[in-house]
Amino acid sequence: MKPKRNSNLCYTTMFMKFIVFGFALFALAACNNNTTSTGNTNGYDKDVLASIISNADSLNTFPFVTNRVDEIKKALQQPKPVLLCADSLNDNQKQAQQIALQDSTFTKYLFDGATKQPYRNEIFGVYPARESDATGVKVAYNLPTTYRVEMYNYALNNTAIALVDVQQQKTVHRFFQNQMQPDVSASLTKLAIQIAAESPEVQQALGFKPTEKDALMASTKTSLNRSRCERSKHLCVAPTFVKDGKALWAIVDLTDYKLVGIRWTNVGTTGKAAPMLTEKKLQDDKITSCFCEVEQALQKNGWNMKYMLTSSDGLRITDVSFNNTKILRSAKLVDWHVSYSGTDGFGYSDAVGCPYFSQAAVVAWEPPKVVKLTDDANKEIGFVLEQTFRSEGWPTPCNYNYRQRYEFYNDGRFRVAAASIGRGCGNDGTYRPVFRIAFEGNQNNFYEQQNNTWSLWQKERWQLQSATTNYSTEGYQYKLQKGNGGFYVTPGKGQFNDGGKGDNAYLYVTKFDAQKDEGESDLVTIGPCCNTDYKQGPEKFIEPNAESIENSSLILWYVGQMKNNNTKGQEYCWAESVLENGVYTTKVYPCFCGPMFTPVK
Amino acid sequence: MKYLIRNKIKNQKSKIKIIFCFFVLALHSCKEETVDYQANNCKRNPSFMQSFGYNPSFSYLTTSDEKVMGLVLRESTQAGNPNAPVAKQMQHPSWLTGGWLAPILIASNGDIFTSPAPFINILNNPISNNNTIYKVDSKTGVMKEFLKLPSSDSINTDNPFGIIGMALLCETNTLYVSSLAGSKRHNENGHIYAIDIATGKIIDQLTNTDAMGMGISYVTGKRKLYFGTGRSSDVFDITLDKNGKFSGKPSLAFTLQDLGIRGDDKVRKIRTDNKDNLVVNAMEFNYNLIAPREKQEAVYTFSYDDEVKKWVFVK
Repeated sequence: MKPKRNSNLCYTTMFMKFIVFGFALFALAACNNNTTSTGNTNGYDKDVLASIISNADSLNTFPFVTNRVDEIKKALQQPKPVLLCADSLNDNQKQAQQIALQDSTFTKYLFDGATKQPYRNEIFGVYPARESDATGVKVAYNLPTTYRVEMYNYALNNTAIALVDVQQQKTVHRFFQNQMQPDVSASLTKLAIQIAAESPEVQQALGFKPTEKDALMASTKTSLNRSRCERSKHLCVAPTFVKDGKALWAIVDLTDYKLVGIRWTNVGTTGKAAPMLTEKKLQDDKITSCFCEVEQALQKNGWNMKYMLTSSDGLRITDVSFNNTKILRSAKLVDWHVSYSGTDGFGYSDAVGCPYFSQAAVVAWEPPKVVKLTDDANKEIGFVLEQTFRSEGWPTPCNYNYRQRYEFYNDGRFRVAAASIGRGCGNDGTYRPVFRIAFEGNQNNFYEQQNNTWSLWQKERWQLQSATTNYSTEGYQYKLQKGNGGFYVTPGKGQFNDGGKGDNAYLYVTKFDAQKDEGESDLVTIGPCCNTDYKQGPEKFIEPNAESIENSSLILWYVGQMKNNNTKGQEYCWAESVLENGVYTTKVYPCFCGPMFTPVK
Repeated sequence: MKYLIRNKIKNQKSKIKIIFCFFVLALHSCKEETVDYQANNCKRNPSFMQSFGYNPSFSYLTTSDEKVMGLVLRESTQAGNPNAPVAKQMQHPSWLTGGWLAPILIASNGDIFTSPAPFINILNNPISNNNTIYKVDSKTGVMKEFLKLPSSDSINTDNPFGIIGMALLCETNTLYVSSLAGSKRHNENGHIYAIDIATGKIIDQLTNTDAMGMGISYVTGKRKLYFGTGRSSDVFDITLDKNGKFSGKPSLAFTLQDLGIRGDDKVRKIRTDNKDNLVVNAMEFNYNLIAPREKQEAVYTFSYDDEVKKWVFVK
């Protein structure tokens, strides 16, 4: 019989485990799409954990949105491509609207200057002018017959304002407000509430399907809270639903007619107003709480792993196994080195990572995604874990967008990949992502293909993939042998059907030493932007005294090299804005790189 | 019984003494110091400019060139216009010592104070050096370490920032330095240090405060240090005594919340204009290293309303 004390200790340990596990379970559950209204525990704001960043498609959400999109398409075909105010207007207001549209300055931004394609414009309101509206008027006008006409340009995110005296039948003043949005019309208010009310995320959070009157807040002038989509620069409002003393904000994008996301907030009655909930705040808070501070577990198709966003090493996966066989200790994206050939030594070493408290220069905007991987016949062959990192101004020049992708196949293959999606500071840039891939096992050996034989690497070293590189008949360049198994390594040569045109990669093999931290924890910037040779950073763990790597725990470092291109038809690592349905969307030309690992059988 | 009475009298005397002390203290603390307005502008051109062949009227120092690390001296083609074409520029070799730098503060004798701040990455700005103040000697132009502020025991790689703002109280020659070193997402561990420039000694400090841009004003009849924080868009003030030390606790002065295109700007710099308004330069800040070109700066002006005793947003 065991002593009672030990027995108590055992219970205590079990209880602790239960608490820890319980909390982790809560955090994980809350990070998914279950939202309930609550408070604050253990440093994690439950309302943030329970918030949802929506994945809805642009302009393709509900049947009533489809009707609206049809109206937009029709309006864009007109000589004056403007959606007229859909609110109930009196005759004078209708006249004022028409007169304003005849004014060449007020209608200055109906078309893109270069392509002559129409911008999406809409009259949001026609209001009796106030004296304060007329301070800039330099001609005679009659205030009682003067109206203020407000038109919003969705593509440029600006507002045109005209003062129209219907008695004189002319526009007496006009001006623009850049990056400003007028008050939305009653019809758009209704549409925003309808989008929110019909969204499953809102219904699930409230526990019922809300009606228009549920969005009416007695304490505010309208049924909408102000909000901003400061990242997308879209027109956003936030229908807000109050339940049990808390408010559910539903941010609705009225440029794309979709739900951006939802979050509960406290309804305060005194003190300073709570900060406005915006697109960026919703995204940054959710990503930080759920993916920067909590490691998530992923089990799918025989694969088992944990993943999280790091401070500066992108999306990291750890403890990766397939069918209960341990494969990777970790894999991550340490740096992006971007150099421009036009100016010697000009470029950046960008780290990618978390939006708050990080060394990242380009940060995550949306949570990691797990998506199905299919073959040409649309048959599911695995899954992808993917993360996007973006600069605020992308795709304008000198802003960046990086995508990190892990592919896991049902047959045991996996691929570690990443792409730049431009646009950077020029068309003479070379992108060099630095991957670190740490394999499980301490009896590994590494080989390269040479004339149809596998040649052992005895010491730590590096090698560049080139035009004369030897591959096996299957296309393998290297082999990491682990007992009777292991993995063949196939570098990118443009064969992966993801737009990649070949990696031209440096591969380094270093020995893992538990006594030295050679990148096992979050790595600070590993190398400078602009070295064009093998000195991309990992060499510092090899030189000057390369260690033996036979029968060792091994780390592979893989540095692809992709030159960008903006030549029409050959775009690569590039992005550009195009007008679609009157608003700018981004056309992307990713340059994916990264090796495929195929099990040795 | 005698013993008890004596003790009682003794106790009463002690109580009177204590009450008297409190009374004196109360009187002392109730007497608020009122200080006359001062422009608090005592900076003087460093003499090395002329010895390096630069005309001080046309020259300025910068740390914000994205292609040149460290401190740069430039001569503009137009006096007082840093946006005019640059006639020439130079860097003393020592000006690269701290890697990428951020604040520049010129003291009354022309000495320049600056400190490292990471730019895009920390390749040239190791976190261990981010709490170092450098001084460029007014006469020689040589940059040397002036003071290494206490290293926080909570230094962490998630927060690459250390010193972020500087301000000078001319009256006392006190340098105020804000540092975010060691702050974490759930623990505000930053400081504002008050440093006597003459001795290089820390004379006072505010703890657990992630202060960023700072400015000094006499607008409300007191010497006040205004500062924004990295945690919110709020701007706080704290009174400074005649020795340059902090007096009392910080209080909320005004907020930038919901202003501008972002609505959550953080303070980069605060100055007083010639109408006694506080002019606040603000930008996005989230304790990360996103490229500065994304950090579009906004300028907000606040004026003090004597009737309501509040700072009000002007533009």
